[in-house]
Amino acid sequence: MCQSILAQNSGAINLNEVIISDAQLNNFSNAQSVLSLNDSIIQKNQPSLTSILNYNSFIYFKENGFGMVASPSFRGTTAQQTAVIWNGININSQLNGQTDFNTISTRNFNSIAIRSGGGSVIYGSSALGGTIHLNNVIAYKKQFQNEILLNYGSFNTLDLNYKLKFGTEKLSTFFGFSRFSSDNDYQYIGTKLKNQNGAFHNNSADFNFGYKINSNNYVQFYNQVFDGSKDFSGTLTAVSKSKYTDFNTRNLLEWTNRNEHFTSKVKVAFLTELYHYFENKNTKNYSSGKSETFISKYDLNFKINSKMNLNGILEFNQTKGFGSDIENVKRDIYSSVLLFKHQLSSRFQYELSFRKEMTANYKSPFLYSFGTKYMVNKNYLLRANASRNFRIPTLNDLYWVGAGNKNLKPENANQFEIGQEVKFKNLSISNSVYIIYLKDMIQWTPANGSFWTPNNIKNVTSKGLETNLNWKKNHQLHSIELNVNYAYTISEDNVTKQQLIYVPFNKLNASICYGFKNASINAQFLYNGKVFTTSDNAYELNAYKIANLGFDYLISKNNNIKLGCNIRNIFNENYQSVASRPMPGRNYNLHLTFKF
Amino acid sequence: MHFKKTILLAFSSFVLFSSCDNNEPKINTPLGAYDNGILILNQGVFLGGNASVSFISNDFSTSENDIFTTTNPSLTLGDTAQDIGFYNDLAFIVLNVSNKIEVVNRHSFKHVASIATGLNNPRYIAFCNGKGYVTNWGDGTNTTDDFVAVLNLENYIVSSTIAVVEGPEKMVVKDQNLFVGHIGGFGFGNSISVIDANSNTVSKSINVGDVPNSLSIANNNLYVLCGGKPSYADVETSGAIVKINLVDNTVSSTIVFSDLKHPANLNIYENQVFYSIGNQIFKTELSSTALPTSPLLTINAGATTSLYNFEVQNNAIFAADALDYNSDGKVYVYGLDAQLQKTFSVGIAPCGFYFN
Repeated sequence: MCQSILAQNSGAINLNEVIISDAQLNNFSNAQSVLSLNDSIIQKNQPSLTSILNYNSFIYFKENGFGMVASPSFRGTTAQQTAVIWNGININSQLNGQTDFNTISTRNFNSIAIRSGGGSVIYGSSALGGTIHLNNVIAYKKQFQNEILLNYGSFNTLDLNYKLKFGTEKLSTFFGFSRFSSDNDYQYIGTKLKNQNGAFHNNSADFNFGYKINSNNYVQFYNQVFDGSKDFSGTLTAVSKSKYTDFNTRNLLEWTNRNEHFTSKVKVAFLTELYHYFENKNTKNYSSGKSETFISKYDLNFKINSKMNLNGILEFNQTKGFGSDIENVKRDIYSSVLLFKHQLSSRFQYELSFRKEMTANYKSPFLYSFGTKYMVNKNYLLRANASRNFRIPTLNDLYWVGAGNKNLKPENANQFEIGQEVKFKNLSISNSVYIIYLKDMIQWTPANGSFWTPNNIKNVTSKGLETNLNWKKNHQLHSIELNVNYAYTISEDNVTKQQLIYVPFNKLNASICYGFKNASINAQFLYNGKVFTTSDNAYELNAYKIANLGFDYLISKNNNIKLGCNIRNIFNENYQSVASRPMPGRNYNLHLTFKF
Repeated sequence: MHFKKTILLAFSSFVLFSSCDNNEPKINTPLGAYDNGILILNQGVFLGGNASVSFISNDFSTSENDIFTTTNPSLTLGDTAQDIGFYNDLAFIVLNVSNKIEVVNRHSFKHVASIATGLNNPRYIAFCNGKGYVTNWGDGTNTTDDFVAVLNLENYIVSSTIAVVEGPEKMVVKDQNLFVGHIGGFGFGNSISVIDANSNTVSKSINVGDVPNSLSIANNNLYVLCGGKPSYADVETSGAIVKINLVDNTVSSTIVFSDLKHPANLNIYENQVFYSIGNQIFKTELSSTALPTSPLLTINAGATTSLYNFEVQNNAIFAADALDYNSDGKVYVYGLDAQLQKTFSVGIAPCGFYFN
């Protein structure tokens, strides 16, 4: 996305000494569509991962009211079939298998990438519809910079971010803190009701450290702590008094050794998640769940020659579950991965990869991925890929007290996709069509009409089209950029032939930005087609259109102070993302960014 | 003959309508669009706000869904409907998650009043001694805040509450006494509270089997169907039918199910006992001390069949199929010979039948 012309290089990173932990995102994603959102887009959007992806990607979201639990549907799949990858590590909850996209603050990441399609060979469980990559880029360069973002708006909503970057040629440190809070007591349009019990606040702290021992050896450390609390908001017909808190920590230490032919990475990671659910926030009664995950990984990339790359990964993953809601358990998973890439000619490249996991807890399928990329000419590219991906049963599925089913199999899906990319100087258009055959989908259903238990009971076929268009032009002091994403999705139960609930047939978003000298104006547009809310498709939620408008102005000579405002939902659309839960009408905010 | 009259005559000794004030004679002309028929309460989806009421005429010639919204287009019924109780010309619809009761004219379904204060996790409603009684679980995670709310039927206000043990669920009425089954809320109960409607106090607690889920009175005896603790409990237990003599409110006999069976939905009709286990409906004689080994009928309408409730009335068995609890449910009408007579499509998760 463009910005005022004078600021365009301010966020750029010196590319010669940059490391991201998720090496496979660059090396083994050539046959798939990857959409990258840079830090200027990250700064322009609201701080939750839900908001930025809703307005800038193909992914559909349902939100239990603004700021509440948000679940994606990527290529017609469920929330548990989309993996979130933090610096190369899969961070979907071990308890419920999904990520609540409103519990990820985007402010402290340099880049967010959306990789469409199967990714289980590289990223493991849940990478069926696609993967979302949150990356902290570690740059070795001389710098010392502080940045403060203050953003305040309707419903007493505060979005605060502080970032400190300090580095030399040998050392890189980053510290970021962000806070997002809101009373969130917006009026339900056309009623006398307000969004009741919807307040939330969360704090996120990120710390990254990199040390370059010599030109071949690097040690890097990534850390994130998220502490959030949200009152679960009521609905049009139900008053709520409940509250939910999350406390998640993520730590990754890696040592990279590289020479002409080999790059080896030794990684150890430790992840924790802890939730408390208070049915009545005014009392001390709660239920809770906790998991701790230890990961050790050895990743060796062998550059056989300038045309061939071989990458092997061995991983050990141990997860422990605790709490009042699940049985105390331990799960060990061993996995081995082999990835091969071959540039057969200057125009043709293919990738072939395999993964096999071993665990005592369930039988794990053999996974593969095969992809090709063919440059027809300098403006036109074709790609195709096929893969088998899976979603393992979660700790809740297996061990929920009184309901878990220890005989569950992983869900598995075969996916086929072809795509094309057209690129000219200012314009690029990319299209993908895909089909996903999902087997053994895990669903919780009532057993004997009384208690609910999960079973592998459903087969689903999803097929669709994704289109991305980007056009940009700079001319003297003017800059303009247009970005459009459109997804058409059919996701059907194989038996009933009904569309899955909360999967829209159509989703479109567009953003346009125009910058002139110190000023810029940007507009966002989102169209979500109707969704069905019941499995017999007898009930539906209406389609909705939302438009947002933003202005930014650099007010100081050395570009270090920026002032702006946003008007969200300018046409005051009355819409529900989840039935019975109206979303906010027109709302406003002011922001100030200060760099020193 | 008027359907209601038939029923009242046939069951004058059974208190099937949970009301001791409801026996004034009725005239034969329909009192409204929804007289002379069956109301089906559809629970809706938890937090979906889509509870509804369906209507089927006694002769099965007409049926209509969502009659509350049709009659009261500016109102939304609410979230997670649990029960309907009739009192004179009124129907009281209990909405569990909405924490409220909507009062409508039972024949026209025109809205009369909303009761939105004084309830906390309301479950079932009964009427006795000119007052309404509503069981409430309070917070599910709090085992000591459960109560029965007493409703003033003049002004529709909760006038007082009666503290009871955890998980008060269904009730039946006999003279000036309410019998409250404690299924146990989030835990597992095993008792019946006897509430004296004159003093609004718990006069006695009667121990029965685990999880008393349905109650019925016949021949001056209270029959309590206990589901037993389910497989996920600390110790799984079998269901039981417990007979309580209403002369002295003591247990006179207990029939225990074998093989950890979990029966539900007790109905007593013309001295015959009906109950369900899973999707099967069983029938036995009231006088029998042995339990049937094979079902009267099995509802097998498809992979997602989920028998949620059934009621035996007017020589027919009305069965509610909630399917996957997230699509429009079905009502099957069987003759007492177990032959399927009619099928109706109703609202989401049908959970109760009320004969109007």
